[in-house]
This record gives sequence, structure tokens and C-alpha cells, in this order.
Amino acid sequence: MIEFLQQVFNGLAIGAVYTLIAIGLTIVFGILGIAHFAHGVVAMSGGYVTFFLIEKLGVPFFVAMTLAMVVGAILGLLVERFAYRPVQNAAHINAFIIALGLTMMIDGLNLLAFGPDQMVIRTPFQSVFNLAGLVVTELRVYVMVTTAVLIVAMSFFVSRTKTGRAIRAVAQNRSAAILMGVNVNAVALVVFGLSSALGVAGGALVGAMLALAPGLGESLVIKGFAVLILGGLGSVPGAIVGGLILGVSEALAAGYLSSAYKDVIAFLVMIVVLLFRPEGLLGKK
Amino acid sequence: MSVVKTHLGWALLSLLVLALAPALVKVPYFLHLGILALIWVIVAQGQNLVQGFTGYVSIAAAGFMGVGAYASTLLTTKLGWSVWTSMACAPLIAGLLAIMVGYPSLRVKGHYFAIVTMAYNLVIFILLINYSSLTGGESGITGVPKPENFSVFGLLVNFETRNAYYYLTLMCAVCATVICGLVLHSRVGRVLLAIRQNEPLVDAAGVFAWRYKMFAFVLSAALCGVAGALYAHFIGFLNPEPFGVDQSLNAILAVILGGSGTLAGPVVGAFLVVALPEFLRVAETYRLIVYGLLLVLTTIFMPRGIVPLLAYAWHLFTSLFKRR
Repeated sequence: MIEFLQQVFNGLAIGAVYTLIAIGLTIVFGILGIAHFAHGVVAMSGGYVTFFLIEKLGVPFFVAMTLAMVVGAILGLLVERFAYRPVQNAAHINAFIIALGLTMMIDGLNLLAFGPDQMVIRTPFQSVFNLAGLVVTELRVYVMVTTAVLIVAMSFFVSRTKTGRAIRAVAQNRSAAILMGVNVNAVALVVFGLSSALGVAGGALVGAMLALAPGLGESLVIKGFAVLILGGLGSVPGAIVGGLILGVSEALAAGYLSSAYKDVIAFLVMIVVLLFRPEGLLGKK
Repeated sequence: MSVVKTHLGWALLSLLVLALAPALVKVPYFLHLGILALIWVIVAQGQNLVQGFTGYVSIAAAGFMGVGAYASTLLTTKLGWSVWTSMACAPLIAGLLAIMVGYPSLRVKGHYFAIVTMAYNLVIFILLINYSSLTGGESGITGVPKPENFSVFGLLVNFETRNAYYYLTLMCAVCATVICGLVLHSRVGRVLLAIRQNEPLVDAAGVFAWRYKMFAFVLSAALCGVAGALYAHFIGFLNPEPFGVDQSLNAILAVILGGSGTLAGPVVGAFLVVALPEFLRVAETYRLIVYGLLLVLTTIFMPRGIVPLLAYAWHLFTSLFKRR
């Protein structure tokens, strides 16, 4: 029983990261209809920036993460403006192919700038608590709390501010929003900035919990899309539930079956959901 | 009619060049690249069926190639089948797998289809690496045999030689292109194009769109399977590395660069994606960046690819002479 709870706890921590990545993807998809495949490598770049700030400049972890989120947001703005906007009126598949190209490009740039070695972001949160046999690492608690804070902050921004209202308007009806004088291009930039900042937070947390390495960006974004398919496209609650389910099922699979095949289990879960509930667990028909 | 004649003319001309290539090319390495390019022609034609005709981007081409390559190799080495039989089984096994995995994935559209197929590619890759008792894991399988020799009209064809293998792949590539051409100009091809343009309309017209999508997906997987088998028996050494997701992206790049939805496009694109890394060899670290940039720029500025652009230029050129 205690081993089961341990796996669930570990799974929730990694699931929190998947949730952060998936929320970024889901708002871009829900509002702009773009499958932003380059999200994962943008998140990884942010992770590398965090690593760099901590190791080379001695910046404290959360300050470094916040700065990296700003850098990531700028990268997101550039991606929207120069890669996605030129094809916004073309078939959606063109945007996806551009996203694949961006993934290769940013991955290559990361490799060039930061090298092929694995890097673990060092954090001061190294204590370990023992709750009646359950091993709780301080870092995992921080990961979950950070995720929760960021999600609450984002929901507040989207539901309470004027910009947030513009974002919701575009999500509901793009043409009507344009007629009401909403600047759709500005909304697209804000959404990409927001999404990339959240993604970078995910990248920094995964870098602290596991490690940063080339190729992790792709793997993260694929997990993110798996979460979207699980939870329902464009749904933020779906992304939260889906992310936690994916994280926990992966941890259980790794603990009880085989860690080499844990990714296979994750994709199997996704395929089963597609078979029986193609709209996702919390998606609308 | 004249359009068909020009197309046929170009096809025969390029076929002639390709058929004479082994006699003209004296550097063995170029012939090696030629064989790889022809293998990629088969993959790109398969990719084009789904991506170019039907408008669904599948990111599993390399995965199905891997299935074909390992199926053919294992049938030969473990069961002792002849290479020819095993190679003939490769597309069947890849196609069978495509039937099984195609059903759930074709329930979703657009990007999500792409993501799901990519997940398949990842699963195939993970299995190839981790199921090492069968596949040899990352260290791979050495000594994959070449196809058995045979004699035609008393002439011995030895597949240890590059020339013989070149003609074998050329024949397969031509067959793949002809099959795709026949599909394109049949009723099935028309339905596939209609699905690309307006799938709800196809459904509303009482056509079972998913059957046609399934057909395209399975045929594409089978072509990738053939290409994988040809690759394995040519290189003689098999490990999972060439069957990862980045190679599937290569197939997409080939189709986009050459011209998606055309028959000549994948051929041109395949030769380009094999030739480009050779040109970029000096800057190995920059290869990924240049590739990605090419993909982005092509999609933004030349979304129809090189072949339609060339065709348009040729049209302008000939009309220049007609006026005089």
C-alpha cells in the first residue's frame, strides 16, 4: 500500500509538469487553432536558460525561473510573429509543418548553445520528509505548489483582466471578436507569450526534478499532446486532470511493470481513450 | 492530351537518366547515395499518399520502415526464409500493423492524427530498442544477408554488387510511383483529393471517407515497409537509429520540398533530402538548424514545393516560344 502511495505521489509531481506543458498547448490550440509542436523545445530552452542563470550567475532558483519565463515569453512572441502568422490563413496543416521545422531548428540551436550533455538544475530544496513510510522530497512538493500557483495566476489573468476577456472573446468567436474591435493579432501574441512562459516553468521544473537533455523537448510536447487528447482539446480543466492521470499512470507503470516501457503505457492509455472517447475525458462532443 | 504527353516525356527522360546512371557514375559512393535516394523515393511516395493526396500528416513513415526492415531481417535470420520471400512479406506485415493502428488514429483529424501517428513511431522505436532478445537492441543486428543471386538468360545477377542492387531499388521505386499514379487517377484518388479539400462534404455525399483514408494509410505503410526491407538488406547492418521520429520528419520534408500532391514531387524531394546532408556535411552541427529553417521557409514561401514551381517556369518558357 505504501509503495502504491509512493508511486502516486511521484506520479503527481511529474504529472504537474505535464499539466504545465499541456496548459500552454491547450490555450494555443483552443484560441488560435494551432498545434504548437515547438512548445516542448521552447520549454527546454527556458530550462537551459534557468540552468545557465543558476550555474553561471548564481541567481536563486525561483528568480532564475521567472527570468527564464520572460525569455521564453519573448521567444514565443517571435515564433508567433515570424513563423505562424505568415500562414495563419493557410491550411492548419501548414502551421503544423512549420512547428516541426521550428522544433528541429530550436533543438539544433539548443544543442549548439548548451551542448549534448545532460544537465540537472541544482535547487536548494534537497530535504526529504518521511510521513509514516511515505518518502516526500521537498523538491517535488515545490514543483506541485509552483504548478498550482501558476495555474491560479493564469486563471485569474484570463478571467479577471481586460486582456483576458479579449482572449476569451477570440476563443469563443474569432470573427465576432474582430467586429467588436479586439486586436486579434495582439491577442495571438499575448497567448503565445503566456503559453511559452508556462511551458518554460515546466521545463525548469523538469530540469530540476529529472534532467535537461537534447530530445527531451519533443518527448515533453508529445506527452503534452497525449494529455490534451486524454483531457479534451482546448480544455484547461481537462489538461489538469489529464496531466495528473498521465503522470500517475506512468509512475505506476514504471513501478509495477517496467520503466523501459513506461512511455509505451502512456501512449496506450491515449489510444484507448481515442477508441472509446475521442473527444477526451472532459471534452465536449 | 499534350499535357499527359509532356508528363510522360519527362518521366521517361528521368527514367532513362536513372537507368544509365550506374554506367555514367564512376564514384561508388555516389551510387550508394543513389540507392538510398531511390529507397527514399518509395518512402516519400508512401508519405505523399497520406500527406499530399489525403491531407493527413502522418509522422510514422520511419516507424513503418523499421517494421519492414526488422520483419524482413528477422524472417531471414531467425526462420531461415529466403531473402526474396522475406522482403515480399515486409510490406504485408507493415500493412497489417497499419490496419490495426489505423483504426483508432483515423478517428481523429488534423494535428491530432499527426500526434497519434508520432506516438506510434515512438512506440515502435522504444520496442526496437528495448525488446533486445529479438531485435538486438541498440547494438543491432549485423550481417543482414543480401538477396540471393539468380540468373536471367544465363546471365548471373549478383546482388553483392552495387549495380544489381541499384536496379532492384530503381525497379521498386518505379513500381511505387506507378502504383501511386494509378491510385491518383482512379476513383479512389479522386475521393482522397476530395477528403483533403472538404472531408465533411465527402461524408455528406454518402462516401465512407474513413475507408479511403484507411486504404491510403495502409498502402503508405506497405510502401514504407518495402523501403525498410530494401534498406536493411542493402546496408547489411540494422539498428533502431534510422527509424526514429526525425527520419519520419525527413519524409515529410521530402514531400513538402518536392511538391505535395504531385507524383514527381516526392521523387525530387527524396533525392534532395539524401543530397542535402551531403552538401551540409561541413556543418554537421548546423544540419538540424538548416533543415528546420528550410522546412519553415518552404512552407511559408513555397507551400506547393519545387516541382509545381518548375512546371510553372517550364510553362512560361515554352509559351515564350509558341508566341513567335
